[in-house]
Amino acid sequence: MIRCYFSDYHPIVLFIYFISVISFAIFLMHPVCLLISISAAISYLALLRIKKYMLAIFLIISIINPLFNHAGVTILFYLPTGNPFTLESLLYGIATSFMIITVIAWFCCYNKVVTSDKLLYLFGKLLPQLSLIISMVLRLIPLYKIRFNKIMHANPSDNAFKTAALVVSIMVTWSMETAIDTADSMKARGYGLPNRTTFSNYKLTTRDIVVSIGLVVMSGYLICSNKLAVTYIPIFNYTQSLPDFIIYTILCYTPIILSIMEELKWKYLISKI
Amino acid sequence: MEVFNIENLTFKYPTKEKAALTDITLQIDKGEFILLCGQSGCGKTTLIKHLKPSLTPHGQTQGNIFYKSTNIKQVSTREDASEIGYVLQNPDNQIVTDKVWHELAFGLENLGIDKQQIRLRVAEMANFFGIQNWFYNDTASLSGGQKQLLNLASIIVMGVEVLILDEPTSQLDPISAVDFLETLKKINDELGITIILTEHRLEEVFKLVDKVIVMQDSKILFYDTPHNVCKNLIETQHPMANAMPTPARIAAALTHEELPFTIKSGRNLLYKLIGSTNILADNLIEKPIDTNFNILTLKDVFFRYTKDGNDILKGLSINVAQGEIYAILGGNGTGKSTLLNVIAKNLRPYRGKIKSSTKSIALLPQDPQVMFIKDTVSEELANNEISKLLNISHLLNFHPFDLSGGEQQKVALAKILLSNPDILLLDEPTKGLDCYFKAELAQILASLNKTIILVSHDIEFCAKYASRCGLYFDGQIISEGPPREFFSNNYFYTTSASRMCRHIISNAVTVKEVIETCQNQLK
Repeated sequence: MIRCYFSDYHPIVLFIYFISVISFAIFLMHPVCLLISISAAISYLALLRIKKYMLAIFLIISIINPLFNHAGVTILFYLPTGNPFTLESLLYGIATSFMIITVIAWFCCYNKVVTSDKLLYLFGKLLPQLSLIISMVLRLIPLYKIRFNKIMHANPSDNAFKTAALVVSIMVTWSMETAIDTADSMKARGYGLPNRTTFSNYKLTTRDIVVSIGLVVMSGYLICSNKLAVTYIPIFNYTQSLPDFIIYTILCYTPIILSIMEELKWKYLISKI
Repeated sequence: MEVFNIENLTFKYPTKEKAALTDITLQIDKGEFILLCGQSGCGKTTLIKHLKPSLTPHGQTQGNIFYKSTNIKQVSTREDASEIGYVLQNPDNQIVTDKVWHELAFGLENLGIDKQQIRLRVAEMANFFGIQNWFYNDTASLSGGQKQLLNLASIIVMGVEVLILDEPTSQLDPISAVDFLETLKKINDELGITIILTEHRLEEVFKLVDKVIVMQDSKILFYDTPHNVCKNLIETQHPMANAMPTPARIAAALTHEELPFTIKSGRNLLYKLIGSTNILADNLIEKPIDTNFNILTLKDVFFRYTKDGNDILKGLSINVAQGEIYAILGGNGTGKSTLLNVIAKNLRPYRGKIKSSTKSIALLPQDPQVMFIKDTVSEELANNEISKLLNISHLLNFHPFDLSGGEQQKVALAKILLSNPDILLLDEPTKGLDCYFKAELAQILASLNKTIILVSHDIEFCAKYASRCGLYFDGQIISEGPPREFFSNNYFYTTSASRMCRHIISNAVTVKEVIETCQNQLK
């Protein structure tokens, strides 16, 4: 199995990538584009070893849309309520469900690739205080979880409500008490001095710049050319353009292409030893 | 050149009658490694907090403190943060961020240092402390020892000149504690950083430090080299003499030579005094415990937390007799606390039998804080008899969280005793306690006349006070016996006294036993 080399890129590259694929997934409702995007998202999920079962959502949305949306010229049959069930609204339902599933799949990938510290790094410069607070909260969640379990163990009781009240009371007192230590520790290390800087481990290298330019150029082209129009209702109608399809495919498959290239490079380097 | 010069410092907390510090005059030289010790509540923490302006408590102050010949009140916040480092007691509470690398960079970020410079300093520190392997980990995933090491590193990284530590090892197991103290020695030797340390584990610290300050009742009792301080404490029969390093205590009772602080020099002294014959002291052969009347029996108990998880208890068997103090010793994070929870029926084993002739079993958890619900100790206990027995009557009007660690431990114990259990389970009861509290706790436990099962790292405590000890390893009790038999059979996992007299006196495990046997030999 190939590992995902794309995750090693600079957070800014990852962020540009996900912003563009997710927005295109929402706005490009062209059937070919939907297929390109969903196939890329599903392949990327596989590359990241994430398993999701989204068939149910797909079926539900495809069927529900035509039940309530009766616009469209091609009537397939009439519902018991007397309303028409049209081909166009069925197609639109299928397209919408494709779109929703694709977006969900992209967000799953996003969650795995853009971890909390990468996100903090990206927005830390805009809101340094907020990013520190988020980092502190992420520190406290596991700490409080452990404390919660300790308290639950120490105070076994049959009455769930009583236990809950007890646990909350102890948690609050205990955490306030320990927060004094944390405040001391921050003060002792100069928190509150003016001109605080933000440190990160990420370094923008040439390959990051090259890939981000590539992503921006491809997205820009797709936005400007605007050749992939589609209407579902009242009449299903669409335009097409081969170069746009190719560029969209490359854009969506960027992580997979980069990972394969990297993998081949490894194979090549190893074969030369 | 002196770093700190304290002149006639007297300090009183606003709400207290008594002064917390009385007429302290002290000079601390650059590059020294200083140990500050004394009973809990003697003013150690108050004193060292005066050396760090940002943490100095509010109250009435007289006298002056000079840091590098400027009055400490004139020290800027920036100097305070970047030159005077302060490590607190609890490893968890002082970690601020979620990632190890971010924690290391936190102080430097506050100082406004640029990114490139931070990268360099963080890299240097990660190498110096061996942190590079867990550099990207979440801080929550670290062990206690690693957490405290991270706290230390994230202060050293700021380029401090003085390092002040308030009982940094009290929450650590003995092995991590010794590692931590040796790291301090390395910092002192290799970086020349001045270190002021308060500590309870005097056994390990005395051999590392340059000077020792002993405080008593808000005053300085001694300020001298470790050797002289140790000699003075033992000669004046000060209660703290019991906390001195074992080799020194044994040597002081037998000779007038220089006191040894290490096992190695202690052994050399014993060889010189009584030769290398292997003595079996007759007076120390103990009578077996009557284990016929078992109050609790565990037979082949298996336990795991999740279906797919690893077994924590693997066929553990144990018999506990009525009225005994059974101590379970063993490494960290191996499942000793789990065992207590299984006995307390908080957890259910998936195989094996637990038979007990009583249903009333109570467990005192490791963190006494988890038990406090009420606003005062008296509400918490609702029964004054118990408070007399545990000698905590004077604490009844305090909030449980305002008490010291030892006092909290006693209040929690009192609360457990309210239900009058037949079997008492104690999880690390001596954690963070000084020698006074340990002695008191032992006395209380003995006076209760209950069956007690305790889990501990504290070898010396178990050797002195347990009726039987068991070694827990890999989910089983692999050896057990009365303390003397148990510890004299162990080569490494045993008391300092036993290690010191191995192959010289084969069955002495406490300082008193070694001294008595040697005195008999010397007659």
